[in-house]
Amino acid sequence: MKKKLMDILACPVCKHHPLELTVKKEDEREVLEGTIRCPKCSVDYPIEDGIPDMLPPEK
Amino acid sequence: MAKKTKSARRSPSRASPAKVKEEDVRRAVRQRYATLASTGSSCCPTDRSTMCGCSDLYPQAEIVSLPEAAVAVSAGCGNPTAIAGLKPGMTVVDLGSGGGIDCFLAAKKVGPKGRVYGIDATHEMLLRARKTAAENGYVNVEFRLGEIEHIPLESDVADVVISNCVINLSPDKEQVFRDAFRVLRPGGKLAVSDIVLLKDLPDELRSDLSGWSQCVSGAVSEQEYIGAMKKAGFEKVRVEERVVYTHEQLSGYVRQAPVADKERLKGLDLDQLVASYKISAMKPKK
Repeated sequence: MKKKLMDILACPVCKHHPLELTVKKEDEREVLEGTIRCPKCSVDYPIEDGIPDMLPPEK
Repeated sequence: MAKKTKSARRSPSRASPAKVKEEDVRRAVRQRYATLASTGSSCCPTDRSTMCGCSDLYPQAEIVSLPEAAVAVSAGCGNPTAIAGLKPGMTVVDLGSGGGIDCFLAAKKVGPKGRVYGIDATHEMLLRARKTAAENGYVNVEFRLGEIEHIPLESDVADVVISNCVINLSPDKEQVFRDAFRVLRPGGKLAVSDIVLLKDLPDELRSDLSGWSQCVSGAVSEQEYIGAMKKAGFEKVRVEERVVYTHEQLSGYVRQAPVADKERLKGLDLDQLVASYKISAMKPKK
C-alpha cells in the first residue's frame, strides 16, 4: 500500500477520515505490514502483504 | 482489536431470499472466489457450447494488451470499462476487482495521472492482482480488502465507479449503490455489468448457495436493480446492453459449481431466465 493512499482512505464503518497509519514493515515503494486505525471507532485495520484489510469488523 | 474475518451483520434486505442467510452467502461467495484465485481458472468451462461467454466479453485487442494472470481468473459478465467513458487523469473505483482485469483496463485508459482503486473481499484474489500489477509495471492501480457495501474511501473522490458481475453477489444491493453514490464526485458516473433476472428464479436455484456464488441466485429483476440505483440517488440510468442467456449456457455454468446440488437442478428450464446487462448511471452535478 502506498502511503499516498491514506489521503482518500476512510473508515468503512463510520467513514471517518483521516485514519492513522502505523508502519511495521515497508520497502522503498510501499507499506507492507502495519495497521490503519480509525480514531473514532477505535478499530485497527491490519495491512498484510501490502494489502490493507478494510473489511468492517464483526459485530 | 475486533476479529476481522467476517463482515458486519445487517438485517436482510428485500433482495435477500428468506431461505438463505446473509452470512452464509458471503462465506460461500468468498470461498468460491478464493478457490478461483488459487486454481487460476476462469468462470468459463472449456466446452464452448456451455460457456457463459466471458471470453468473448472484451475486444481481442484489449485482451492481448492485458496481463495473462488477470485474464485467467476473470469472472465477469461484461466489460464495464467499455461504457465508463474513462479519460486520462480520472480516478476510478472498481467494486469487486477480483484478479484485476477491469482495473488494468481502466489503468491504461486513465494513464499515469489517473488512479484506479480495486476493492475486493477475497484476500487471495487481491494477492494475485497485486502480484500481477507489480510484475507488469502498473503503478496507478491499488488494491485493498473491503466490502462493496462499506467502501473504505472518502466521499466524493471517484470520477467513475465500475463493477463487473459482482453487485448481484451482494445480499444488500441498495447499500452497495448508496455507498457507490457516496464515493462518486458530483457528476460522476457508475458503469456496471451485471446479471439481471428476466423471470422468477426457481426455488431450487434461489436457495442454492453455489448458485449465489455463480452470480445467479442473488440476481434481481431489472426493475429492482434499477430501482435500487435510483433510490440511492442516481439519475440518467441507462441500460446500454442486454445479452440473454440460453438454457445451455446457464445450465452449463451453474453445473460447474463445486457444491451445486445437481439433482435438484435437473429438469429446470433455464432458458431466458437471466441476462447480462451493461448499465450506466450518473450522480447529479448538484
